[in-house]
Amino acid sequence: MAVINVSAGSEAVLKLGDAAANATPTSSDGITVPAMQDITINNSTGVFRWKQLDLTSESAVTTPSTNQITMNIVVDPTTFFGTGAGSIDNVKDNGLYGVSRSKTKVYFSAFFDGTDTGSKYVTGEGYISGLAPTVNMDAPVWVTPVTIEVDGDFSAVTTVS
Amino acid sequence: MAFRDTLITNLTTSLSGSNVSVSTELPWNSSGTPLYINNKKKLYIDEDNIAKTELIPVLDNNDVFQTETTVQAFVTVDAKTQPDDIDTIVSTILAGKDGITGQTIKECEVNTEIETDYITYTFDYRFVTV
Repeated sequence: MAVINVSAGSEAVLKLGDAAANATPTSSDGITVPAMQDITINNSTGVFRWKQLDLTSESAVTTPSTNQITMNIVVDPTTFFGTGAGSIDNVKDNGLYGVSRSKTKVYFSAFFDGTDTGSKYVTGEGYISGLAPTVNMDAPVWVTPVTIEVDGDFSAVTTVS
Repeated sequence: MAFRDTLITNLTTSLSGSNVSVSTELPWNSSGTPLYINNKKKLYIDEDNIAKTELIPVLDNNDVFQTETTVQAFVTVDAKTQPDDIDTIVSTILAGKDGITGQTIKECEVNTEIETDYITYTFDYRFVTV
């Protein structure tokens, strides 16, 4: 039995790009989402249940999964609003807010134990949603929830050199 | 500039003309007795106490920290015959917190303690920033 301990600070990593190639472990074309407070990868299988008179328990069949990645982050101006222009990646240029507003598809890699060779991660594509930046005087730093509404399946991948 | 220095500068100005003056000395003990008890009607301001605590832990270790600075000030007056303007003096010292800029939280509370024939006002300033 092993655990994946992320306390080193470079283990739980989320990379985003406007193409799958820009969100790979070795690419620097996309963005690495900084200052994540938490991240949750939701793979929720849908279920249809029914009862029938000749059975004492419900029956069930699966329906398509709802896949999401949710997180809370501290707002970093560069990654939230983008660098403006000049890179080859739309997510880097326009930031999380820009691609959410324009409803642009993003590609992601969510790393469980860093980006080194042999580390595990899931990839996919989806849309940024659920931005709700908030701040108050007791915690005077902007934070926001972020949701990636995944389009299709996750893929589980192992990093290769 | 330490908050103590700013408080001394500001309160020296705002308390001028009152029955209390501001000392630049720390409230050290002389023969076992704090200076503010030996020297009545003088406000002594202690050094800054600073604590950096984690406000928001994040997964990439770029945690957000807040800095809390507390400063204590003391003034002792005769308990039997307090200065006529003691209420104004207390209000002025409490308002001294407003002279510290760049803080998200600026608080000050005062507590009193009577011993024999004198009363000591202890002011606790608290400032928080990120």
